[in-house]
Amino acid sequence: MSGNGVRKYIPFFGCLISTKHSHFEAAVRRTAPKLGMELVDVAGFTCCPDPIYYKAADTLDWLTVAARNLSVAEDVGHDVLTCCSGCTLTLSEANHTLTHDDGLREKVNQRLKKVGREFKGTIRVRHIATVLRDDVGMEAVSASVSRPLEGLRVAIHYGCHLLKPERIMRVEDPARPVILQNLLRAIGAEPVFNTRHMFCCGKACQDEDLSGRIMHDNLTEFSDLDVDALGLICPTCFDEYDLGQIQLSRKSDRKFRIPVFYYFQLLGLAQGFSPDDVGLKRHKVSAKPVLEKLGLVAPVKPG
Amino acid sequence: MIGGVGHSACFQCGACVGDCPGARYSERFNPRQIMLMAILGLADRLVTRDSLVWDCTNCCNCVEHCPQDVQPMEVIIAIKNMIRDRGLFPEKSETIVGAVLETGRTVVMSDLIHKRRRELDLPALAKPPVEELAAILETDNG
Repeated sequence: MSGNGVRKYIPFFGCLISTKHSHFEAAVRRTAPKLGMELVDVAGFTCCPDPIYYKAADTLDWLTVAARNLSVAEDVGHDVLTCCSGCTLTLSEANHTLTHDDGLREKVNQRLKKVGREFKGTIRVRHIATVLRDDVGMEAVSASVSRPLEGLRVAIHYGCHLLKPERIMRVEDPARPVILQNLLRAIGAEPVFNTRHMFCCGKACQDEDLSGRIMHDNLTEFSDLDVDALGLICPTCFDEYDLGQIQLSRKSDRKFRIPVFYYFQLLGLAQGFSPDDVGLKRHKVSAKPVLEKLGLVAPVKPG
Repeated sequence: MIGGVGHSACFQCGACVGDCPGARYSERFNPRQIMLMAILGLADRLVTRDSLVWDCTNCCNCVEHCPQDVQPMEVIIAIKNMIRDRGLFPEKSETIVGAVLETGRTVVMSDLIHKRRRELDLPALAKPPVEELAAILETDNG
């Protein structure tokens, strides 16, 4: 492990993870200490607010609410650790915009003043995957693993807002990312290249028919590759692929059954946590085939 | 208006179209055409209840590929802001915005959510400070 000190972060789980996907929060909270990360919980956050609907309604309001959340974290002084790509986009973009645009910062701070707050731009917003790469290090991720996920073939879905817009995110080239492949290799799994790993999941499109057709084509590619699982780092993409897969299979000739995992659930399994510890029974598409392959549950005998 | 102010630099190269999921999956959606309308001062025609701008998937690919840093997605979001200003915002989106103001979250809380958090030994969720949201968002919206 690089460095002896425990690093402190302020977790921002956001609406989706703290409510509908609390098992993702559990996976993060359980795996982080083994990576030398201390999560310092801070009271007083609201919705980030979401970068699709809320920003579409009123960009200034969106920046204002985001700036308020950032000011809550600034009072404590550690970097904000985001676990959802939507929260990452909102808080990163607000942090960037308000640091670079003096006029907008002043405008927003006039509003925050009413509740005795001020956005200063003194901390960073970082998606937890980038913290694993940049602070923890891939070797330390590997060292935390007691049960490598050997032989598990995982298709990656990057989602859009871990990497884009690149001028703000500064993670890596969004056309050729490697961060998630490396994180999967670090826990012993095999990332399976697919031509759709950078394609949008479609969930942030208000036209549900359109997003359904995108999903159908994405899932067709993953199914044709005969992967064991789909791995991702965004709760919105997760919804689209997990519940969405069931809904799509009802409407489509092809039945899709690819177990979907939030990366930290896979990391949790590799660190020795049980399937229940990371909430796998909450998934709509059963994770059982993967658990059987990993030897974590007995295979069902035919007949 | 915030964002989406660089459209006059657009020279209609179409780099925003090739990698656009909206353009690929929607017959009516084409970011280059939206930029053209903005340049010609015709963006108002897109400020309608069933506007084609809702076919945007918000993926940011157009922002990445634009050689002029026009940020087409931000122009599209600015048009969405105008749609809301005219009172033509989609009901589903308005519900989500309303939920944030009322409860501090996009997701409506339920007993099941609290129960599942307890099962996973997670800390109890505190009520977000919605009164602070109300205070910082008052006035300017008139």
